[in-house]
Amino acid sequence: MRGRLVGLLGSLVLLVVAGACSRSKEGAQQAGGSDAGGAQAAARVKLALNWVPEPEFGGFYAARDQGAFKQHGLEVEILGGGAGVPVLQMVATGQVEFGIVGGDELLTARARGVDLIPLFAVYQTSPQAIMAHASRGAKNIQDVLSSGTIALEPGLPYAAFLKKKYGFDKVKVVPYDGGVAQFVTNKDFAQQCFITSEPIAARKQGAEPVVFLVADEGFNPYTAVVATRRELWKTQPERVKRFVAAVREGWRAYLDNPAPANTVMAKLNTTLDAETFAAAAQAQKPLIETEETRTRGLGSMSRERWETLGRQLVELGLIEKAPVVDEFLLPEFTQAPGKTSP
Amino acid sequence: MKALRDALAPLAALVILLALWETVARVFSFNPMVLPPPSTIGLEASRSAGSLLSGALSTGRSALVGFGLSTGVGVLAAIILSSSRVLERALYPYALFLQMVPIIAIAPVLVVWFGHGARAVAVSSFIVSVFPVIANTHTGMRSVDPALRDMFRLYGARRVATLWKLELPASLPHLFTGLRVASGLSVVGAIVGEWVAGVVEGDSGLGILVLVANRQGNTALVFAAVLAASALGLLLFGAVSLTGERMLRRWHPSASGS
Amino acid sequence: MRISGIRRTFSGGVSVLDGLDLDVAAGSFVALVGPSGCGKSTLLRMVAGLDRPDAGTLTFSPPLEHTPGARPPIAFVFQDAHLLPWRSVLDNVALPLELAGVPAPERHASAHALLQEVGLGDATSRYPAQLSGGMRMRVSLARALVTRPRLLLLDEPFAALDELTRNRLDDQLLALWKELGMTVLFVTHSLSEAAYLAERVVVLSRRPARVMLDRRLALPPERLPALRADPGFAREMGLLLQALEQGEAA
Repeated sequence: MRGRLVGLLGSLVLLVVAGACSRSKEGAQQAGGSDAGGAQAAARVKLALNWVPEPEFGGFYAARDQGAFKQHGLEVEILGGGAGVPVLQMVATGQVEFGIVGGDELLTARARGVDLIPLFAVYQTSPQAIMAHASRGAKNIQDVLSSGTIALEPGLPYAAFLKKKYGFDKVKVVPYDGGVAQFVTNKDFAQQCFITSEPIAARKQGAEPVVFLVADEGFNPYTAVVATRRELWKTQPERVKRFVAAVREGWRAYLDNPAPANTVMAKLNTTLDAETFAAAAQAQKPLIETEETRTRGLGSMSRERWETLGRQLVELGLIEKAPVVDEFLLPEFTQAPGKTSP
Repeated sequence: MKALRDALAPLAALVILLALWETVARVFSFNPMVLPPPSTIGLEASRSAGSLLSGALSTGRSALVGFGLSTGVGVLAAIILSSSRVLERALYPYALFLQMVPIIAIAPVLVVWFGHGARAVAVSSFIVSVFPVIANTHTGMRSVDPALRDMFRLYGARRVATLWKLELPASLPHLFTGLRVASGLSVVGAIVGEWVAGVVEGDSGLGILVLVANRQGNTALVFAAVLAASALGLLLFGAVSLTGERMLRRWHPSASGS
Repeated sequence: MRISGIRRTFSGGVSVLDGLDLDVAAGSFVALVGPSGCGKSTLLRMVAGLDRPDAGTLTFSPPLEHTPGARPPIAFVFQDAHLLPWRSVLDNVALPLELAGVPAPERHASAHALLQEVGLGDATSRYPAQLSGGMRMRVSLARALVTRPRLLLLDEPFAALDELTRNRLDDQLLALWKELGMTVLFVTHSLSEAAYLAERVVVLSRRPARVMLDRRLALPPERLPALRADPGFAREMGLLLQALEQGEAA
């Protein structure tokens, strides 16, 4: 929460400055770094995460530490995030080349004139979920919303979706604080969560949560989407493609054996222990590797999914007009090279 | 006439600032998500006037309760601190502690004690704004003219009479200095309190609106909500200043029109 | 009033009074003169009971005891007016009676009467900030006298005022003394003021204060402004000045 304050007010000022600076930086990059690759020194790029190092980002750390980025001629600096880190604005202003954002965030930004393009979607099924105490006997999200208190991040699109679908008349909605302390102490308390994170933490503290995926209710945006600015794609398409290929290899490696990257991340994020890392990596597997990715490759995205999301955001009143999918979803990223459409 | 002239300079500054802002935002074509021009903020404000107003009402109510608590508790604490040197030495560090409390860190505790909602938000507003009231009133009571204290002693005034007829009225100018500072802080405290202890649906304040707007990338609405919060603080500040001026008018030859 | 062997040493070891004796007859007007910092004010504060002597005694006969609820028998006028800025002139003057528990109509009547006497009868509803320095001092004087004290202590009360205003206030004080008949102990560093006002002048040395001269002035009881030009007045002034210079050198 404290980070949010910085994120909100500080970043506004910061970004104005950074935005102005990025113009000149861009010119320098274009002049110096041609896209030749090969024997040249590895190109340095930055990737901004929107949360602290967790299994959610395992594939990126695997790509960095197990050589995938290097093999593709890239030297990647991964910037860990936290609540309030304005990743979207950082990518938009060119402070970083790549950033992790939510699919809904990306569409909202596009609707506001920020030309970001999605490259790789880690989660095919959104890990966003609602967790409640098992003792309440709730069978689904509707049951959870029929009493007690629920903590949701203000302005969250799926909160708007659930509100529209079920109404919030019978439940008290309070701000999500990023932790599980209130959940553990209050039996009538439910909250938003990442299926890979809070439920595991709550269980460790002795709570017995049940978890309901929001995706099962019909709102399933791509989550943990790698995005970049269109300018970068226009000027250095090869570098972008190489980055995506390396990320895909990193995720493949992480899904096969999460242990090495978990060890690295555990050093950066000491709030989770090895056991939690392992459990989370296991829990998220089916959300990342699906029937579809087996044919089209990890991280692939479909036109239909983006269209559905755009339509839903319009219906929820979060944007006025759905962005035209063909303007931002490039065929290069709807499937991995060498795979065929089903 | 004078009031008009006094208002002219800041007004002109505002117009120039807005014009400059608008120009910079447009000429450098900053994305509105990064720096929305004032015109966009104005448009957004009128479009979201309803939620801004209800947010301002909710936050204003919490801030007012917090400010009222600060006034009452602050003066009471100052009386206790001033009643003896021993008590002052024993308790003042803890009053100071209130000033140092990082409210964002202690807000979760407020949730545990008061639950989510207006009560916890008002207490957050109180914690943030009470110290200036204590400190200033205390200073005021400590700096009462010693000759007047002697006179009250000479005339055998009781403790309560000395407090009521000498110390409290004598510290009014200091008290109002404290209240002016507290008025702005009470709004800040309410906003921050809402971020942790507020409610998102129903009676939600400007702090929640800022979060919602930020989450939706609606930077213009973030600005509009922040401006509304500032206006709220200014309103409270103005009311306190005016009350203070009226109450202290007779103290100063300039305002008495003699 | 009898002061005998009074001693006072401030923390830090500065001896201000080291065994001073002084008798003051009831109803008399005594001026205390001395170099600044000699302990005049300390003496006055001890008489008022605002400070305690380290040794020695202070006795009053008849005794001046302040019983709670009764009008306090001693009044004090400070160097500045020290009015309460949030109270009207009338309420400032009525304050001592208010603290003694006198009901409002009665105390307001007394305050009104005294303000009339000091020439501020039409300023009762004004506030201290609206008054001149001289007017404020008159309010302060009225406040001191509103309790009809038996002993009035004045600590360089008119020192901050201009000469003309001061002379006018001196005359007013004399008139009030004649009318009310209280004992007056008047501390000043102005010899002419002391000679003009008092029946008896006590000149003190620099600290620790000793009595250099204790003189009943050979001047007519009726003091008029013309007195200041009188040869007798000049002679008394000369004697006082001599004693003061000796006390300074000692």
